[in-house]
Amino acid sequence: MKRVGLLMVCVAVALSITLGVAVAKETVVVYTSLENEEVVDYLELAKKDLPGLDIQAIRLSTGELGARMLAERDNPQADCIWGWAVTNMSEFIPKGMLVPYKPKGWDKIPAHFKNPDGYWTAIDLYAAALVPNTKVLASKNLPMPNGWNDLLNPVYKDMLIMPNPASSGTGFLQVASLLVMLDPDYKNKPVEKNKAWDFLKELDKNMGQYIKSGSKPAKLTAAGEYAIGCSFAFVYSSLKKKGFPVALVLPEEGAGYELEANALLQGAKHENAAKKFLDWAISTSAMKQYAKFKLGVTYPNIPGPKDLPALSTIKLAPMDFPWQSENRAKILDVWQNLFLR
Amino acid sequence: MDGHYLGAMNTTAEEYVVPVEYGISSTRMEIDRFIVPTVTIFIALLLFFFMLFPLWSILQLSFFEGGQFGIANFTLANFKKYFTTSYTLNALWHSLYVSVATTIIVTILVFFFAYAMTRTTISGKTFFRNVIMMPLVAPSIIQALALIYLFGRNGLITAHFLKIDWNIYGATGIIVSEVLYCLPHAFVILYTTLSAVDIRLDEAAESLGATPLKVFTRITLPSAKYGIFSAAALTFNLTITDFGNPVVIGADYNVLATEIYAQVTNLYRFDLGATISIILLVPSLMAFILNYYISRKTFAMISGAAKPVIPPSRPLKKISFTIYCCLVSFSIIIIFATVVIGSFVKIWPYDWSLTLSHYKFPSIGGYSAIWTSVWVSIFVGIGGSFITLVAGYVMETRKPFFKQFIYLLSVMPAAIPGLVMGLGYILAFNKPYYFFYGTPWIIVINVIICNFTLGILSSISNLRNIDPSIEEASISLGGDTIKTFFKIIFPLSRVAFFQNFVYFFMRSMTTISAVIFLVSATVHLAAIEIIMLDNDGWTASANAMCTCIIVIVLIMLGILQIVSKKTGTHQEGLVSAL
Repeated sequence: MKRVGLLMVCVAVALSITLGVAVAKETVVVYTSLENEEVVDYLELAKKDLPGLDIQAIRLSTGELGARMLAERDNPQADCIWGWAVTNMSEFIPKGMLVPYKPKGWDKIPAHFKNPDGYWTAIDLYAAALVPNTKVLASKNLPMPNGWNDLLNPVYKDMLIMPNPASSGTGFLQVASLLVMLDPDYKNKPVEKNKAWDFLKELDKNMGQYIKSGSKPAKLTAAGEYAIGCSFAFVYSSLKKKGFPVALVLPEEGAGYELEANALLQGAKHENAAKKFLDWAISTSAMKQYAKFKLGVTYPNIPGPKDLPALSTIKLAPMDFPWQSENRAKILDVWQNLFLR
Repeated sequence: MDGHYLGAMNTTAEEYVVPVEYGISSTRMEIDRFIVPTVTIFIALLLFFFMLFPLWSILQLSFFEGGQFGIANFTLANFKKYFTTSYTLNALWHSLYVSVATTIIVTILVFFFAYAMTRTTISGKTFFRNVIMMPLVAPSIIQALALIYLFGRNGLITAHFLKIDWNIYGATGIIVSEVLYCLPHAFVILYTTLSAVDIRLDEAAESLGATPLKVFTRITLPSAKYGIFSAAALTFNLTITDFGNPVVIGADYNVLATEIYAQVTNLYRFDLGATISIILLVPSLMAFILNYYISRKTFAMISGAAKPVIPPSRPLKKISFTIYCCLVSFSIIIIFATVVIGSFVKIWPYDWSLTLSHYKFPSIGGYSAIWTSVWVSIFVGIGGSFITLVAGYVMETRKPFFKQFIYLLSVMPAAIPGLVMGLGYILAFNKPYYFFYGTPWIIVINVIICNFTLGILSSISNLRNIDPSIEEASISLGGDTIKTFFKIIFPLSRVAFFQNFVYFFMRSMTTISAVIFLVSATVHLAAIEIIMLDNDGWTASANAMCTCIIVIVLIMLGILQIVSKKTGTHQEGLVSAL
């Protein structure tokens, strides 16, 4: 009996300690689609910069994050979104699911990187890139590509891998950039009539697989499973650092890109804590950390990673965010009917 | 309400006339009369609220415009869209194809394995039996992870030993991984069936001059046919509802389970996701009903006179069955070895130097996800085994008024795919007034409900083994239902309780499909981390997470062994003392 009593006391003490900690800190629940490896890094800094906050975060793919928000619409579980594709973000403004908030330092961010009403504030830009495995190219005697057009070469049959635009933001920006670049008249015709579909059909002949995530094409290519992965720029630098035989090709036609932005959610249960977090998320300290991974951050004068080319030297594709956001469902519908078997 | 009380009273009056004579106080009888219906109603409500209500939400969303119930809103538009879109319709054909193929392969493979264990005198049976049960301790993703390392486009065997271009992605990969995943489940059924059937029939036929082939086709096979059907139905069900393996190794080959996930997460089409859930529910429900019907017959086939004495097998038979069992065991061991080794080498298959770096998980969950999984699983284990024991007790010995109905409700979860249940939970419970949404408790409840069937079946079969006279003695000595349960039934079924605990614990540690929609920013689970790590391309870290889960489950199994040995002796003492 004594032992049971002792155990009870221990449990009570342990419980009160954990509860005590929870009370002392303000909780904030964050949804993000930044890559896991960056988030781990950023969160370490956030814990240092914001000692009063207990940051509960989950990393979801671009699609998963949107589905979560819709599912939880009646009872939002998250307080804010951190680093989510602006294309998807824009769909949620008319649904009334975002609240305008201009975090501290908002004025420092150039106008084209933020919503004028403060619904979202972008933190970085990431660009599509082709990541070939140099060893595989050499062993199979394949040429190094310079851009999307080179990928149509039949020698690459089944050697390419690309993300599925329905589940991956990277996949979507790649397809969207091609739709805009290959058909100058894209605005005046229905999505399914776009000339880029013919190009994508040709590309499909060489495609080994469409995969769920945007970083995985590069990672599987690095592991030697494919010759060229259609992915994004910073995953290349992290693979290169790990010693994989990979190269970086930014498509010569123009690299599609996407902005990743933060927003405050309607119905946030910890609004104050969320605001503190959002302030931090565009602070110079955070931006400097983002710049270790990202091709470009939205604060001026913070240089990108050393192993990636400077943003100013890259030819970016002319993205049309309002158009692609408005037509996202239609684009995915056409894509899925053409390329899913 | 009156009806329930009346029913409970009637049964108590009929069956426990004796105790009244021994002078149970009337207040005690009152409590008894109150307890049994209360517990029964509680269990019924539990299953209604946490199983039927989420299913109802799914039905509503798929059949009614905007998910609003009402005749005017009734629509078949979702189903029309599903059946007229080629890639979603293909998911159904794909699912049926891989499930039928897996079912045929597993049933044949396992039948001969179980045959070797029960009808031949090969040595090393304990080893073989343990190996074939191994897949139970790992999430149903380990097979796919290992197969990609071995037979992927850059697989050790395909690209480096054989130097061929063939790879296992797609239907082949799904079938092979599902086969390896379903082996233990089918084995349990076929092993029980074959050990229960009277072997002397075979002997009699043989001594009457039948050739071995004739004995096999005319006696052995027909006598085990119900077991075979049952194993096949279970395998079909497990395969068609699995999410982990197809999502990893399926590549572009979509099946129903992965298509539900894709519709919901990629296109935000919850209505189509619900519709596909209904479509997935049909074949899995059919397999379940078939199994339910057949497994009742299996019991009838089991002869009380069955004698497990096996005549020595001929050398050729022995050798070929030993080789066969070795091959099956080897393929299971190689799966586990690949994943464990893969988690410790630097870059598979280029750089074989050992490293611990994959155990520094590049994800938000990381080790905290493992601890969350462990304590969630402990709660699932305790809660699940306790509730199923109480439910089994009430159903088996107290025979409440609507026993058949409760029984049907409790075996139903086996027919409901985890992913469907998970989606139903989001749809049904994500309202501000369901305070448990977004907490670990919803996961605990979900896993308990999803695995309710096996828990209750094993509780019932265990309770049937307890001599009812002990319980009668307790009651005649003045114990009421609660006392009898805690003082007699609970201690006597302690081993069964621990077994159920480990079963629930194991399921909770390894389940993916049921909880993938329920993990949140506050609750990360290890099994889901595997999917996320693999999805991000951190395959080696996914292997490492898998290894951690396996080790934890094995430790728990070890603890069970020790505990059941201890209580085993204790139990004898208790019985003799009584």
